Amino acid sequence: MMRRDNDRLSQIFGALANPTRRAILARLAEGEATVNELAEPFDMSLPAISKHIKVLERAGLITQGQQAQYRPCTIDVTPLKEVSKWTEQYRHIWEASFDRMDEYISQLNNKEISDE
Amino acid sequence: MSNTTVSKEDAVVIERTFDAPADLIWQMWADPEHFKQWYGPKGFTVPVAEMDLRVGGKRLICMASPDGSMKMWTTGEYVEIVPNQRLIYTESPADENGNVVSPSAMGMPEGYPATTEVTVSLEELDGRTRMVMTHAGVPAESGAGGGWEQAFDKLTDYIQAALNE
Repeated sequence: MMRRDNDRLSQIFGALANPTRRAILARLAEGEATVNELAEPFDMSLPAISKHIKVLERAGLITQGQQAQYRPCTIDVTPLKEVSKWTEQYRHIWEASFDRMDEYISQLNNKEISDE
Repeated sequence: MSNTTVSKEDAVVIERTFDAPADLIWQMWADPEHFKQWYGPKGFTVPVAEMDLRVGGKRLICMASPDGSMKMWTTGEYVEIVPNQRLIYTESPADENGNVVSPSAMGMPEGYPATTEVTVSLEELDGRTRMVMTHAGVPAESGAGGGWEQAFDKLTDYIQAALNE
């Protein structure tokens, strides 16, 4: 359960760690837009923009209409709220750290056994 | 290893049980060479870990991003030291000389407390150790904070209003 939350946070952080994707989110905060409209301000191909949109979609930050002809994108801020508190960001760092501590202790234990 | 995560409004509380005695877990925190092996986000390294392990003694830690391009320094001091049982230290963003800097100067979003406090409690049972780590924000004197969160709240309100039109 917790591991999955961590992966989800990684996905959200990963999606936000890109200026183009943050610009797309900022544009969508003003209202829904098609992929073409989102691509306009960028010197980028449509497939490149689509890739960014897919990353945002996987992180749950935007949804894309399935039925309308132009499949407009809309922003979903729920994941942003998850990472908005400093505690959530530190939690992410600590969980990763303690995973590593556990691995490191296993290594030390194994070394001790092989040294004996 | 078993994990429990407790959510609190202003603190991170993480409980873990390790297959190791308490003195080894203590060393993970108190010995810089051990500390460097595990501390920090995935892929980050800890090139500097200075620990003057006595009450009032200073800490200076540097975390480096995987490609080494970004370095984050933190400093603080030890508040309580009970070997193999309990460790409390403070933490603040700093420069490489250990001078405290404001969280926003470090590029952290508004709302980060300037000083936080880390408490590690260890309890050994049958060769295993239960560790409870609490990382709490120390209320800032200025009373500022919550900038990021407020920004997101505003964004939510804005979008909800737009959807209701």
